[in-house]
Parts: sequence; structure tokens; C-alpha cells
Amino acid sequence: MPAIEVDGLTKWFGGTLALSELSFEVRDGEVFGFLGPNGAGKSTTINVLLDFVRPTAGSAAVLGFDAQEHSREIRARTGVLPEGYRVYERLTGRKHLEFAIESKGVDDDPQALLERVGIADAADRKAGGYSKGMAQRLMLAMALVGDPDLLILDEPSTGLDPNGAREMREIVRAENERGATVFFSSHSMEQVEAVCDRVGILRAGEMVAVDSVEGLRDSLEDGTTLRVTVDRIDDDALAAVRALEAVSSVKIGGSDAEPTLVVGVDGSKTAVLGALEDHGIEVRDFSTQEASLEDVFQSYTTGSEVEAR
Amino acid sequence: MSADTTPGDGSDPTATSARAAPSGDIGTVSFQSVRAVAKKDFQDSIRSWLFLFLSVFFFSILVFPTVLLWYLGGDAPTAEATTAGLVGTVHEVTRLVIPVIALVLGWKAIAGERETGSLKVLLSLPHSRTDVLLGKFVGRSAVLSLSLFVGFFLAAFVVAILFGGFDLADYVGLFAVSVLYGLAYTSIAIGLSSLTRSTTIAGALAFGVFVLFYVVWETMLVAVDTLVQLDYLPGVEYTVTGPGGDQIALERPHDIAFLFHSFDPGVAYRSVLSFVTSVAEQDPGVVQSMEEAFGGSVPLFLQDWFAIVVLLFWIVVPLAVAIYWFQWVDL
Repeated sequence: MPAIEVDGLTKWFGGTLALSELSFEVRDGEVFGFLGPNGAGKSTTINVLLDFVRPTAGSAAVLGFDAQEHSREIRARTGVLPEGYRVYERLTGRKHLEFAIESKGVDDDPQALLERVGIADAADRKAGGYSKGMAQRLMLAMALVGDPDLLILDEPSTGLDPNGAREMREIVRAENERGATVFFSSHSMEQVEAVCDRVGILRAGEMVAVDSVEGLRDSLEDGTTLRVTVDRIDDDALAAVRALEAVSSVKIGGSDAEPTLVVGVDGSKTAVLGALEDHGIEVRDFSTQEASLEDVFQSYTTGSEVEAR
Repeated sequence: MSADTTPGDGSDPTATSARAAPSGDIGTVSFQSVRAVAKKDFQDSIRSWLFLFLSVFFFSILVFPTVLLWYLGGDAPTAEATTAGLVGTVHEVTRLVIPVIALVLGWKAIAGERETGSLKVLLSLPHSRTDVLLGKFVGRSAVLSLSLFVGFFLAAFVVAILFGGFDLADYVGLFAVSVLYGLAYTSIAIGLSSLTRSTTIAGALAFGVFVLFYVVWETMLVAVDTLVQLDYLPGVEYTVTGPGGDQIALERPHDIAFLFHSFDPGVAYRSVLSFVTSVAEQDPGVVQSMEEAFGGSVPLFLQDWFAIVVLLFWIVVPLAVAIYWFQWVDL
């Protein structure tokens, strides 16, 4: 049984299409990164899973329960770190956890949970005085109450410093080892690639890619991209560069006055520059760029083709 | 509703409400959840000074007239230095301030949490939306009722000492009916608050309801009566026997105007008080003329006990409508 099963989910807000026949599955026991730029529909999807909003069409099932019909069952087994929340200003951190513990009908120790997220010393302070990062840690602690089968974390790194984000990832890993499925959204690949088994990339309400992190990495054809700005270009020089063993692709860009070669290289870059100079072409400038998963993400989410809406 | 995806179709509540009634746990009530939400709400929504302020306030509106009545003794033309006299004086104040306090306590209950996003914290936990509304109602009602209790309890000593005696039934009657009245307005406040995610609109609705009930609704009967007397509206004609044995033809507004009038929570509050306590709200002459106007016996909706039904109506119906409505909205 998949932990989350989304099927043909469509959501209109007035005249705006937020989700367009979105379908995907989160397997039991995995850490699934739900990626997309802001406004892609990540929070809308999560809001449907938690029954905060009702879909226009399609269905969603969480832990085998229909998200609309059995929302209470779902939320009893799920820990949630919502997005765009606000803490209860006049309740202390401890009161927040006591409320979550009472609501879930479990007997966790508030202090232990607060220690786990690193805000134990602020336990008896009112949450209204917490920083954004502390509030985020408090919400994470509330999500962990009752050892949930599923964690739904909406942009969990928001407001956290790099150290906080690392601790967040450690908790995600530990919860996953305990047996929990983790579904978390982010607008940045960096947050996701270190912990996720699989990644889904959402763009304008549609899933444009679902793959394992390794799979996405494999889709990176070229190890390094070399950009060479030259004074001119001719076919012989181009052929010579293409003929090099280390070169996997060559594209021509830039302007006529200053053409640029974009060369995918998996080996010696000086060979490329040497081949150009051998053909009497002046290299004016060059730069190299390591390809990363961020590039994959970028290519999926900022592609120049116009989407029919 | 078909599952097509025409624009605007999903966020239109009239379209979604046409769907079949949900069969799962939507709208189910869990006692534990209601209690947890109510407790959280009580702790979160109430600054301790507010509770203290309300208690002192209720204490003063009881003690001030008590001292006045005691000081004036039997000289006061309308009221005596008795518990009944006190109830007769105080209820004019509570009839105004309880709605104001209940609306002020409740208008942000749901809209405020929706606007800031803290409702997401609440609903990330296994509470149904109905649990949240009921929990909020219990929480806010508790604030009002407990401060009423503290004020009444402490003032009781002053009343007993100054009046040298104490009619427990009248005093407790005023307290109990005031609590009911407060519950009715809390239900109205929570109901209004659940209709919108904007606290500005929720505030405007609360203010509008106050004006509607306190100003407009109460004067409607007078307005209708005036129009009837001026023959702008059809009325009901009846005859009374005058002092000299003459038959005098009179006209009164239609029963519906009286029924409408009796549904004003403030009118109901007064009627229940005169039913529960020994304060005769209407003097016998008025009662007699009313009986004549209705051909011998006053219809049931004008009898004082019916006002209890009206108060219960205002406790149950706004909350019930809100619970139904709140099932369908996108947060």
C-alpha cells in the first residue's frame, strides 16, 4: 500500500488552475522530496492531503484512507509541519506540545521532544516571543508527537539557518529509520538531495519528473560544461572539437560578434581550447561549470517552452 | 456535481455543497477533541487580565445598583431594595453588555485563526472541523460564564449584607439566564466568525448583528405597529370593552410581527427573566390588554416560557449552521 496516492488531482481556485490532473505515489517507508518553485502547487497538494482544501476533481489517499472521507484517521497517524502557520502566541512551547499530545491521545514527554529539536531551554517561554527558526522547530516537535507513520513537512527548512536545516535532515533520517514515511516539500534541490530516496518535481500544477536521486543524477549527461567565448567560429574548428574524445556535446550560442561554444566535457578541458587555437581561433574567455541536481531542477522548472494553460 | 474541471467550479461553495453528504469521518464529533480544543482556546485566547477585568466588571454592575438601591431605600420610585429590584435594574445593563462582550470575545475565534494560519496547526492534529467549532464555542463560553460566575458570586455577599436578606432564586435566576443569553451570543459570534477568513469582515458582521438585534429588531414591532395604525399596513382588528362599557375597535399588527419580535434574543432574555425570577416585567394591565388583543389568550410565542425556546434556538442554530457551512470551505 502506498503511503500517499494522488490520482488525477485537479484544483481550481476561482479562475486559477492550481493543480492539473496531478498523479503520483509515495511508497511506504521512503523519503520523498516534493520539489517545485514557489507557486507550483506544492502547498495546495499538501492542503488536499490534509483536507484543508477540497479538490475540484480527482482523489487523494493517505495511508490507505481517502483524504476527504477519513481525514481524522489520516491526521491521527500523520505528523504535519504546515506552511504559513502561526504558533499560539500566548502558549508556551511546552503547552503547544501538551496540546498536540492530548489531541493525539498519546503520552509522549514534551521535554524530550523539545530537547530533540533543540529548544528545550525555551520550553516555558511563550511562543509569541520565538524566532521564526524556533517556531519551526516547535512545529517539528509537534509533528513528531505520537511516532507518526507519515511525516508531511511543508518547506521544513523555512526560517532555519544552515545548522538548523542540517539538524532537520538528521531528524528526517532518524524518523525514516524508525519506519516513518517522510513526504517533504521544498523549493530547493539542495535541501532535498541529501535525504530523499525519490524526488518529484512539480511545475505549474503538473508533475514533470519523478525519479530517484540517482536517476536524476544519471540524467546529467555532461560532467562539466565549458563555455568558450571566441572571436569567430568555423566548421573545421567545430568538427575538430566534436572529434575530441572527452567532448559529448557542442552547442553554439552568444552573438555573431562574439560567438560562444557551450561544450559538454568529461575529461580534459585544455584539449578543447588547444583544438580551437590550432585552427587559428582566438579564445577570448572561458568558464567551466559543474553540473548539479540543481541544474536538473532548473531545467525542469524554468524551461523556456511555453506551457499551454 | 460532475467531475468536470471548468474554471471557478471548485471554489464555489454552492457547487460543492451540492455533493452527496460525506460518509466518512467529516464532521464527526470527538469529545476528547472538543475538550482539547476548548482547553487550548481558553488558555490561548484569554489574557489573565481580561478574565479579571470581566469578573470585576460583572461584580461592579451588580454592586453599584445594590449600593444605590440600599442608599435610596424605599424612596426609589421604580425599584425596591430587594433582590427582585436588583434583578429588575441590573438586567437592563446585562441585556446590553453581555452581547457586546460575547461578540468581542468570539468574533475572531475562527476568522482570526484562519487569517493567521494557526488554524492549520489546530487541524494538522486529528480534530474534525466540527470539533474545532464546538471547542471554540465551549472555550469562549467558559470565559464569559466563569467571569459572570465570579462577579455574581462575590457580589452576592455585598447584596446579602446591604439588603439584609437575599432571594437566592431570583439571584441565581438572573445568573443562569444571563449565562444562557451569553451562550446564545457566543454561538452567534462563533458562527459569524466561521463564515469568513477576514477578521475585518468578521468584525463588521459582529457589529452588524449587534445593531440588528439591539437597535433594528427591537424597534421593528413599534415600526410595524405605527404603520398599521396609520393604515399603511394591514393589521388585525379587535374590540375591547371600554371603561363605560362601550365597544372600542382597535387594530394591532399581524401575529407574525409579534413572532418576529419574540425572536429577538434581548426580548427573549427579558421574557425568560420574568418567567424565572419574581420580577413581573409586565404589569397586569399590560397583560390584560395583550390578552384582549389576541382574543382572550396570548399565543404561545408570546408566553414567557417560549422565550426559553428562543434562547435555545439562538444557542443551537447559529452554531449548527456554522458547522454545516464550515464542512465545505477551503481553509
